[in-house]
Amino acid sequence: MANIAAQRIKREFKEVIKSEEVAKCAIKLELVDNNYTELKGEIAGPPDTPYEGGNFVLEIKVPETYPFNPPKVRFITKIWHPNISSVTGAICLDILKDQWAAAMTLRTVLLSLQALLSAAEPDDPQDAVVARQYKENLDMFKLTARHWTNAYAGGPSVNSECDDKIKRLVDMGIEEHQARVALSSYNWDLERATEQLFS
Amino acid sequence: MLRYILSFLRIIATKMLQLLSSRKHLIENVLRIYIKTTSGSTLSIEIDPKYDIKQIKNLVASKIGAQPEELKIIFAGKELGDNIIIEECDLGQQSILHAVKIKRNVPTDQSSSKMKPLCEILDDEMFSSNITNSRSNSFSTDNEVINISNSVMLENSTIRSKKIHFYVYCPTCKDLKQGKLRVRCHFCKSGAFTVHADPQNWIHVLEPKQITGTCENNPELCKDILQNKEPTFAEFYFKCSEHISLGETDQAVPLDLIRPNLKQIQCMACLDTSDTIFAFPCPDDHVMCLDCFKQYCLTKLTERQFWQHPEYGYTLACPTGCPDSFIKEIHHFRLLDDENYNRYHHFAAEEFVLQSNGLLCPQPGCGMGILAEPECTRISCQNCKYVFCRHCRQGFHIGECDVVENNDTAGQNFSCESDMNYNNGNSGELASRTTIKIMTKPCPSCKTPTERDGGCMHMICTRAGCKFHWCWVCQTEWTTECMGDHWFG
Ligand SMILES: [Zn+2]
Ligand SMILES: [Zn+2]
Ligand SMILES: [Zn+2]
Ligand SMILES: [Zn+2]
Ligand SMILES: [Zn+2]
Ligand SMILES: [Zn+2]
Ligand SMILES: [Zn+2]
Ligand SMILES: [Zn+2]
Repeated sequence: MANIAAQRIKREFKEVIKSEEVAKCAIKLELVDNNYTELKGEIAGPPDTPYEGGNFVLEIKVPETYPFNPPKVRFITKIWHPNISSVTGAICLDILKDQWAAAMTLRTVLLSLQALLSAAEPDDPQDAVVARQYKENLDMFKLTARHWTNAYAGGPSVNSECDDKIKRLVDMGIEEHQARVALSSYNWDLERATEQLFS
Repeated sequence: MLRYILSFLRIIATKMLQLLSSRKHLIENVLRIYIKTTSGSTLSIEIDPKYDIKQIKNLVASKIGAQPEELKIIFAGKELGDNIIIEECDLGQQSILHAVKIKRNVPTDQSSSKMKPLCEILDDEMFSSNITNSRSNSFSTDNEVINISNSVMLENSTIRSKKIHFYVYCPTCKDLKQGKLRVRCHFCKSGAFTVHADPQNWIHVLEPKQITGTCENNPELCKDILQNKEPTFAEFYFKCSEHISLGETDQAVPLDLIRPNLKQIQCMACLDTSDTIFAFPCPDDHVMCLDCFKQYCLTKLTERQFWQHPEYGYTLACPTGCPDSFIKEIHHFRLLDDENYNRYHHFAAEEFVLQSNGLLCPQPGCGMGILAEPECTRISCQNCKYVFCRHCRQGFHIGECDVVENNDTAGQNFSCESDMNYNNGNSGELASRTTIKIMTKPCPSCKTPTERDGGCMHMICTRAGCKFHWCWVCQTEWTTECMGDHWFG
């Protein structure tokens, strides 16, 4: 019975490979194993967003009950976004939960995630810290998101001040990612971040 | 001398072979059918499928002491014409034909002499659409109208040669089979019945009192009905075409949503185009191949996403979310294997209990449905004798429930990682029991056991009709506090 999922993914895979989004390098899909149960997706950060220039890798696990149940998708690339966990990369997008319909495809999922990067929904947040920053200090949010895009997704470098602050913490013996998380969570206030890290 | 004997034996052998082969030929071509007469008697006759109706009439007439011209042969709602060959009627072994004695003054006219049983007249195209509004309720008993409609039907049937496919669930074969449409009198259930018009769609066939006809069984009764200004109605039913009929009560359930794939529509799940499809009752031509339909049912059953519909029962709708697309005939779920069909029944009963404000016994392996007064907190299970508290589902106790806190700490202490440790651990039964306890928790709203498959703590009850948003850690409604505090554990 599980071959329905495999058969469907096989077809969808071909569909995505031939799609115009792939031709434009907007989305990418790769097989991880030969039995079509795990795939690697990639989406390009949409233009005019803090994610522009970055490439975001996704882990896609296809359940045996696909397409009657949604694929399990998670960001592998670390990302600063109100609807995506900055810790685990988990996404609580409605179409990946109760709004999934059997007629949707991996292509729909990748495009929806790309759309999510362009239009965050801070009122239905997945990462409470990021969401608070998004609502209270949008410029700070954009700066942080762009910084993460540069650090993890190969986006352009934008603000050397951030890099300097991280370096200061690293020099104090803090692991780089941990330093970045602390600074991001405290609006790049070095003092407060330091206080939190050593408390 | 020896040579003589040998040649003699050879002659005998060939003779015997000839005899055997001719006998075999005979056996293959014998059709045993029953003829029911209006006097109530049943004749069993053996015929050659190449016989025409005229020959049947001669055979029957001689046995019941009548003239062949006085007989009408009725099968599946139609009087069969003299020229019809039995083979063309798809009779099957042990089918029943009805012989009716009439006083026919006028010689049989051209159209009726070509009349065939309904199965041979109808075609797939008429029955392939989801017509729900066009109910033609033209009950004409006027003879002229009947003849006209008959000749129209004849033309249609010669143009379209695609014979209709009906699919049924056969309780004898216990499987999905092809079915045959049969007709009887709605009032006296006699098969000696002819329709005034042919059914044009599934509504005519499935819903009662759609098509009028003439009952030959009990003209007195029918006259009475006519005098009461209520027409005589046809009742349609189905037989399995893959086993020999076990008599008039041997019926099969029509699965009207299983159809031949005339429009060559892709399965919405696997994207294949198969010959036989399950067509959801929605206007958008959403179809699945039968394998995918089975998988769909199985998936939704396991997640308890069937819906307890007030009229149709425990059922499913089109997976694309089309409005009013519930499956009416729940026998379609017979496509599940026996084990899962039993589960289907079990869940349906549970769902019924829950909707009637009852509760389910929490003892593992019991799950008995219990209907108790709402104010009664001490619930005792008739089945396993377990006595428990209505609120916390633990053993009955006096005073406040304290179990919610226990579960809470369990939830906080075990993240996904420690669950996995438990699975890999070798501390035996205790560990696995703990794992099971941690991996599923009851929905705080409806108490259905729910499994968390990693990801966030934000749970949405999968049981259809509940959809309660709750927190895995707090085991209460999902709040912004949960979001800020322990979204991902
Ligand atoms: Zn059968
Ligand atoms: Zn009758
Ligand atoms: Zn399919
Ligand atoms: Zn639909
Ligand atoms: Zn019990
Ligand atoms: Zn209690
Ligand atoms: Zn529930
Ligand atoms: Zn909570």
